[in-house]
Amino acid sequence: MSVSLAAAAPSPTGTTTHCPYCSLQCGMRLERVGRTLNVVEWSEFGVNEGALCRKGRTATGLRGHRERLTSPLVRDRATGEFRAVSWDEALDLVARHLTELQAESGRDTVGVFGGGGLTNEKAYALGKFARTVLRTSQIDYNGRWCMSSAAAAGNKAFGLDRGLPFPLKDIETADVVVLVGSNMAETMPPAARHLDRLRAAGGKLVVVDPRRTPTVERADLALQPVPGTDLALALGVLHHLIATDAVDEAYVAARTTGFGDVRRSVTAWWPEQVERVTGVPAADVRALADLLAAHPRAMILTARGAEQHAQGTDTVLAWINVALALGLPGRPGAGWGCLTGQGNGQGGREHGQKADQLPGYRSIEDPAARAHVAHVWGVEPDSIPGKGRSAYELLEALGQPDGPRALLVFGSNIVVSAPRAAHVTERLASLDLLVVADMVLSETAAMADVVLPVTQWAEETGTMTNLEGRVILRQRAITPPEGVRSDLDVIAGLAERMGQRLGQRLDFPTDPEKVFAELGRASAGGLADYSGITYDRIRDEHGVFWPCPATPEGAVPHPGTPYLFAERFATPDGRARCHVVDHRGPAEVPDADYPLHLTTGRVLAQYQSGAQTRRIKELPDSGPFVEVHPLVAARLGIEDGSLVTLSTRRGELRAPAKVVSTIREDTVFVPFHWAGVNRLVNDALDPTSRMPEFKVCAAALKVGGHR
Amino acid sequence: MTSAEQRRIVVVGAGMAAARLVEGLVARGLGPQVTVLGKEHHAPYNRILLSAVLEGTHAARALTLRDPAWFAEHGVDLRLGVRVVGIDRDAREVETVDDLGVESRVAYTELVLATGLIPKLPPIRGVVDRKGHLHPKVHAFRTMADCRDLLAVLPDAKRAVVVGGGLLGLQVARALAGRGIATEIVEGSEHLMSRQLSAPGGRALARDLRRLGTSVYTGSRAVRLTDEGLVLDNGFTLSTNLVVLTAGGRPAMALARDACLTVRRGVVVDSRLASVDDPAIHAIGDCAEFVDADGVSRTTGFVSPAWEQAALLAEILAGEARAYRGSRSVARLRATDLDVAVLGEPEEAVADERTEVVEISNPLAGSYRKLVVRHGVIVAATLVGDLSHVGLITQHYDRGTRLGPDEPGALLLPPRPTAPTQLHDSTEICSCAGVSAGEIRACSSLEQVVESTRATTGCGGCKEAVCQLLEQKIAPVPSG
Repeated sequence: MSVSLAAAAPSPTGTTTHCPYCSLQCGMRLERVGRTLNVVEWSEFGVNEGALCRKGRTATGLRGHRERLTSPLVRDRATGEFRAVSWDEALDLVARHLTELQAESGRDTVGVFGGGGLTNEKAYALGKFARTVLRTSQIDYNGRWCMSSAAAAGNKAFGLDRGLPFPLKDIETADVVVLVGSNMAETMPPAARHLDRLRAAGGKLVVVDPRRTPTVERADLALQPVPGTDLALALGVLHHLIATDAVDEAYVAARTTGFGDVRRSVTAWWPEQVERVTGVPAADVRALADLLAAHPRAMILTARGAEQHAQGTDTVLAWINVALALGLPGRPGAGWGCLTGQGNGQGGREHGQKADQLPGYRSIEDPAARAHVAHVWGVEPDSIPGKGRSAYELLEALGQPDGPRALLVFGSNIVVSAPRAAHVTERLASLDLLVVADMVLSETAAMADVVLPVTQWAEETGTMTNLEGRVILRQRAITPPEGVRSDLDVIAGLAERMGQRLGQRLDFPTDPEKVFAELGRASAGGLADYSGITYDRIRDEHGVFWPCPATPEGAVPHPGTPYLFAERFATPDGRARCHVVDHRGPAEVPDADYPLHLTTGRVLAQYQSGAQTRRIKELPDSGPFVEVHPLVAARLGIEDGSLVTLSTRRGELRAPAKVVSTIREDTVFVPFHWAGVNRLVNDALDPTSRMPEFKVCAAALKVGGHR
Repeated sequence: MTSAEQRRIVVVGAGMAAARLVEGLVARGLGPQVTVLGKEHHAPYNRILLSAVLEGTHAARALTLRDPAWFAEHGVDLRLGVRVVGIDRDAREVETVDDLGVESRVAYTELVLATGLIPKLPPIRGVVDRKGHLHPKVHAFRTMADCRDLLAVLPDAKRAVVVGGGLLGLQVARALAGRGIATEIVEGSEHLMSRQLSAPGGRALARDLRRLGTSVYTGSRAVRLTDEGLVLDNGFTLSTNLVVLTAGGRPAMALARDACLTVRRGVVVDSRLASVDDPAIHAIGDCAEFVDADGVSRTTGFVSPAWEQAALLAEILAGEARAYRGSRSVARLRATDLDVAVLGEPEEAVADERTEVVEISNPLAGSYRKLVVRHGVIVAATLVGDLSHVGLITQHYDRGTRLGPDEPGALLLPPRPTAPTQLHDSTEICSCAGVSAGEIRACSSLEQVVESTRATTGCGGCKEAVCQLLEQKIAPVPSG
C-alpha cells in the first residue's frame, strides 16, 4: 500500500469518489496502479477543487490493514473468546436470538444504533429494518452527539434543517463571516481556503472560540468566551443591534414572527453584562455587532462549539435571532448555517435512523407521513412503531428493566464517543446480546457477542449528503476482501431470516442504486425530497442539492435547490420564527473542587473516535493530551509534556500536558479521538435535541499520574 | 399555609429588581398571585442604559424590560402611577394613592419592598424653589422621565455642569460631552468615584476625562445657583445652561421605617431576604441592607446583586429552601472612551491585613490597575484606563479561583511581543500534507513545493510560511 503524493496530472482515469471522513466530502479520484490504490486530486469537483487534507490523502491506508476483520466472530459464552464463524451461522444466530428476545420481552427489547458515517442507503435500510422487521421504536444514531442542536434549532426557526442553505463557496462572496465554535482549519481544512479568499477579497472573518485555533489565526476579530456562554454573547450582540437601530425592520415585519418578544428579552443583556458572564470584553461585543450591522452580506455559521451543550438548541436559536434581526437568511451571500461534522451527518438524519423520523425528514408522528412511507414499504401504517428513545437515553436504558436487552450497532464506536462513556460501557455490558457491524475490532466491537465484518469506503457504492445538502456519490473502486459483506447485505440477510419467522416477506435490495431509488420514493413529498435525484444525475452534475422532487415523465427535471429561503421559509405561513431564549449557563460550573472548565474537540490528523484514522500509519497519533495555559501550568507545577491527571465528577484521565498560551487561562482542552475524555464529560442533555453537554464541564487538574 | 386563592404577593416598586422577581415568580406559575405597584408611569425598564440613551448610543424605545402586555398575559396585576404611602402590618395591607389623589388599600400575604434609591439633593441654594420645584436649569437623572426632560432641553444647551463624580455622574458627563456640550464635573470629595476608587485611581480617571475635554473640580462643593452660574466653595463660578444632579442616592426605606421595621441605611434583611422583624415582608435591591455571616452590613446600589436577590427571592417565595449569602458586585462604567471596572470593594478590602495588593500605575498612559488578593484569590480589583484581561479577571473574581503567585501580576501586564520564530528543519509547516520546514527548504520555488510535497494545497494556511521559508527570511536552525 502506498499513498501517492504525485501531482494531479489531469487524469481521466480512476474512479471519482469522496473522502471517507468529514461532512465536507471532498472529491477525489482513486487510481489503481498494480496492487496499490492511489489518492489523486479531482480538481473539477467544486467543493474542494482538488484540495485535500492529510486524512483524505492517506485514506487508502486502512485498506489491507492487518486488523481488518474478514470473518464474522461469535463470542463463546463459556470462554469469552471470539470464534470465527460462517456468515450463515452468525446471521442465523443473531436472527434466532433477536426473535427469542422479542418473544420474551416485546419488540422494543431490540435496539438499533446507527451512525452519521453511514451512507444514505444504509441509514434508510437500517430505519426500514427497525420499523418493519424488528418493529421496534428503539432506534437512534450518534448524530445526536453531533448536529442535533442545530437541527432542532433549524426546524424550530425555519421549519427545515439543512446544514447550509447555500453552497459553501458562497463564503467567498460575503462581507463578514462569523464562525461560532468552529475550528474549520483543522476539522475540515480544505474549507478554510474559502476563508482565505474571503479575506483576500476584503471580507472580514470573526471567530468565536475559547481556544486560539489555527482558524482563529486567520480572524480579523477573535472572541474567546468562557465555554458554555455563546448564548449570552448572541444575546449581547442582538441587544446592541437593537440599541443602535441596526435591525432590518422591514425584513423582520415581512418575513418573521415573534421578534417583538425577542426584542424585549434582550434588554437585560447590555454589553457590560455580557462581559461579566462571557469574559468577552464589552468593546468586542460591540465590535462584532457593529461589524455585522455595517455589512449586508454577513454569514453566521455555528458548529459543535456552540451546539454541544445542554443549552445547544437555544444557543443556535439565539444566533439565528441575530441573523433574522439583520435580515440575513435568504439574502445572497448571507444567512445562518451549521457546519455539520460527520461525513453523512446531514443525510443520516433525513432517512429514518433517528428515533422520531421517517425517510424524507418526515415526522414519525405525522399520520400522513406514516401512510406514505408504509405504502412504499408495503406494510400497514399502524404497524410502524412510534417515537423511541434518543441516543443517550437509549444507551442509558440498555439492560434496565424496561430497556432493550439487545442492541445492533452499525457505524458507531459508542465506547469512545458516548458521553459519560464508562457508564455507557457498563450498560453495553449488561445486554443479553450486542451485535456490532464494523470493519475493525473497534473498542465497541471488542465488547460484542457477535461481530459482523463489513465493507468500507472504496469497496462499496453509496450516496452521502454533505454539509451543503448536496447529495454526492461515493463509488466503488476496488473489490472488498473475501469474507466481508456490505451493511446492506447484513440487513437484508437478517430481514430475510427474521421475516421468515415472522411470516412476512419484505423487500430489502442490496444494490445501492436500487435502495437509493426506493429511498427517493419514500422521501417524495417530504422536506428532504430526493425523488428527482439519480446516480446518473449526481455523476453528471457533481452532486444535487435537496429538495429535488421528481417531475413527471418527459417534463424538465427539477434542478435541485442550492439556495433555500429566498422567498419563503418552510413553515406553514412561510415566515421564520424568532424564539425567546435566555442564558442559563452550563449544567456544571467550576467550584473549589473542580476549578477549571474542560472542553473537547478534534485535531487535524484524526477523525471522530479514531477507529479509522488511528490505524493509518501516515497519520501522526499523538494520543490524548491536555492543553493548559502556561499560568495554570505554573500554578500547578506542570511542565510541557508532564504527565497530568485530569478529573471530573465522572472520571479521571492521565495524559501528558501540552502547555499552550492559545487557550483560556480558566480552561483545559482534550481531543476526543481516544477513549478517555468522554468518560469525563457531562451527560446533561439539551431538553429539545437531547444533545449531551460535551463542550463544557468542571474539572480539576494536577501534576503526576497517581491519585 | 395560605391557599392559592388567598395568596397575594405585593411588590412595591416596578424597577429592575421587581421585574426580575416577577419573571422568577411567573416562571414558577405564581404570576396570578402577584400585584406590582409602580410609582413611575413606565413599565419596568433598564435604568442602567439611561445614560446611553442620553448619549444617543441607545434607542430609548429599546429600554423596556417587560411591557404591560407581558404582565397581563401572565396574570400579573401591574399598576403604574401608584405610590405606596403606608404599610399596615396588622391588617396586612398597603395604603396607596394614585396621581389623582385617590386612596386605596391592597391586601398582601407577602410584601416585597423593591423601592430602590431616592436621589440625593445636594444642599445648593437656588436649586429648589420655595414650592419644592427644581430650578428650570436643574435636572435629576434617575428615571426615564428625567432622561426625557433632559433630552428635550439639550438642543438649546451649550454648557453643562454635572454635580457628583460617581459612576452615574461620569456616565452623564460623557454622554453630554458626546452631544457636543461643554461639560464640567464637580465632586465634593478629593477624587472621582471616591466610593470605589483610591486616590491614584481617581486621579487617573480625572486625567482621562480632561484629555477628553471635560474639566473636573474635585474637593469642591457647589453652594449656590445664581443667574451667573453655579458657584463653588472655592470661589469659582461655572457659567452653565444646565445642572445635572448625580450626587448618589439613599435607599428608599421610609415605608419600612414608618412600619417600625429595623432600618439602618436600608431595610435590614436576613438570609431569606425578609425583614428581621416581620417574615412576611421582604426587601431586595437598592433598598435592602443585608448583614452577612461575618457581620458586615451592606447595601448594594448595583444591578447584579439586585438581580441575584430577586431571582433568589422568587425561589424562596415558591417554597424552595434557599439562603442569600451576599453577592459579588462588578461596577462597570458604561461610557464612550472611559474605561473603568471596579470589582468588589477594593478600598475596604485593602484595609484588611490578610490581603496583598498588586498594582500598576501608568500616568503616561492614563491607566491605573489594582488587584486585591487574599490567599491567592482576587477579592477586589480596580481597573482604570486599561481593561485588558477584564473578562478573565472578572471570571477569577466571580469563581474565587485560587491563583499562583505570579498570576495576579501577569494579569496586569500587557502581553509580551513574541520574538520572530526560528523554524527547526523538523518543524511541521503544512499539517494538511505533513510537510516539514526542511522539506520546503529543499525546494526552490512554490511550484516545486506544490509539485513535490503538496504543501499549501490543503487548507492553504501555510502558504505565507512556505513563501517566507523560500525567501529564506526565516533563519534556518541546523538539525541536531
